[in-house]
Amino acid sequence: MGWLTLVNMYGVTKVYPGNVEALRGVNLNIDKGDFVFIVGPSGSGKSTLLSLIYRGTVPTRGHVLVAGRNVARLRWRDVPMLRRRIGVIFQDYKLLPDRSVYDNVAFALEVIEASPKEIEKKVPQALSMVGLAHKASAMPEELAGGEQQRVAIARAIVNDPLILVADEPTGNLDPDTTLDIMDLLCDINVRGTTVVMATHNHVVVDRMRKRVVQLERGMIVRDERWGAYCHEA
Amino acid sequence: MKLRTVKSLSGQAFRSLKKTPSVTSIIVVMACMLVLSSFMLVAVNLTRIGNEFQAGVQIRAFLSPDMPPDAVDRTHAAIQAIPGVASVKYVGKDEALQRLGKQLGENNFFLGDLPRNPLPESFDISLLRAADADRIAAAVLELDEVSDVRYAPKLVDRLVGVLRIFWVVTGIIAVFVLVGASLIVSNTIKLTVFARRKEIEIMKLVGATDAFILFPFVLEGIIIGLLGAGAAAVIVGAGYQGLAKWISSVAPFMPIVTDSGHLGLAIVIMLCFGAAVGLVGSNISTKRYLKV
Repeated sequence: MGWLTLVNMYGVTKVYPGNVEALRGVNLNIDKGDFVFIVGPSGSGKSTLLSLIYRGTVPTRGHVLVAGRNVARLRWRDVPMLRRRIGVIFQDYKLLPDRSVYDNVAFALEVIEASPKEIEKKVPQALSMVGLAHKASAMPEELAGGEQQRVAIARAIVNDPLILVADEPTGNLDPDTTLDIMDLLCDINVRGTTVVMATHNHVVVDRMRKRVVQLERGMIVRDERWGAYCHEA
Repeated sequence: MKLRTVKSLSGQAFRSLKKTPSVTSIIVVMACMLVLSSFMLVAVNLTRIGNEFQAGVQIRAFLSPDMPPDAVDRTHAAIQAIPGVASVKYVGKDEALQRLGKQLGENNFFLGDLPRNPLPESFDISLLRAADADRIAAAVLELDEVSDVRYAPKLVDRLVGVLRIFWVVTGIIAVFVLVGASLIVSNTIKLTVFARRKEIEIMKLVGATDAFILFPFVLEGIIIGLLGAGAAAVIVGAGYQGLAKWISSVAPFMPIVTDSGHLGLAIVIMLCFGAAVGLVGSNISTKRYLKV
């Protein structure tokens, strides 16, 4: 792990079928330990930019390097290895409704064939980290939205990822719960995990004063080290 | 993949079999396999009949009347050396006359009045394959000592043609069975895959390999294929043995295949086909969902 920069994007353009241009010539570096907000209106390319990091998609032109590896040139069988180093959370949590909180988190370790011993050790740690150790046996439907997002975060961090990619993780949450989730993401960042988060939430971005990358029509129009949601003249 | 993982994923496959309407697929696979195996067994029997017939196909080569006596052995050796010749039997003039006498039966009285034996010396040539009759006859005719050859080329051609057509039809049916039954199995697995698409998406996002995701679906497909083929094998096994016994009793001259080796081979082919149907079917249904 000798890199200082975890994500490098050089001249990245992404065109979807139907000639829909989601990103245009994007250049972006994200360093180890950064906390980056990706902001911009709907359709500006935020989700596309995030999915390039976990190789949910590949660039039409340009290069995306994650932890020193060009994601577009990864062999198909190497993609899972990349994803094991990246935690991903979404607005809709993506939990398995027929599994308990514990099993949802353990799932991320089971699919990478972790040993039962490792699972027994890591899952309670991740649940403690997100403050849900006491709800390990609950089912997702018994939890509030914020708690469900915490389970998703626990699942994303249980494998000690280098980067946590969050696509509007507070989009479905009330303001108080949103702040709780942001505090949790800050804790995770302080422990050394790089966090890249797409959001529409002005309050969160303005309160936290982290790096802000603003996208408009697929292009980066602002990249501020300690920015606010809107440009401050 | 670790043994512990294989166990856990196999459990998933068996649980899924209980939930999806797999009985319908098993019945369809069984029906397809019954058609395929029936054709296979008919083809095997026709081939046996054909082989016996081919073994009986002979070329008769007549020798020139003015041939020196030492040429018989030389010609015998030359014919025997032609590829595809099983055996060569010399028929002298006297033996040829005796044969004719037998063929004529009561009407052979005039043979004794002949001033001399008019029949030529000949060779009866047995073939390994009837399909080679034309080529061998032409090669024999090229020998200086041979004046003429006789055989039944049209009958041989027809027999070989019918056998070839039957095996081609069996092959085409095999392809249809593979494609058709695979699509049926694929549709059943699709239901499972669709029900678990969210789980598959999460698996992909947290770094599961395609092999890990595919394993339970492929196993489910193979089990459906094997159960269908196995059921068909039981029916064919029991049914064929009964039928073969009955044919042997009412028409003992028919060379029906009754040895367990052929039947066993047919069953093994059916099971392999069943497994292949499951493998292909499950791959068709899951491929789309793996592209996350």
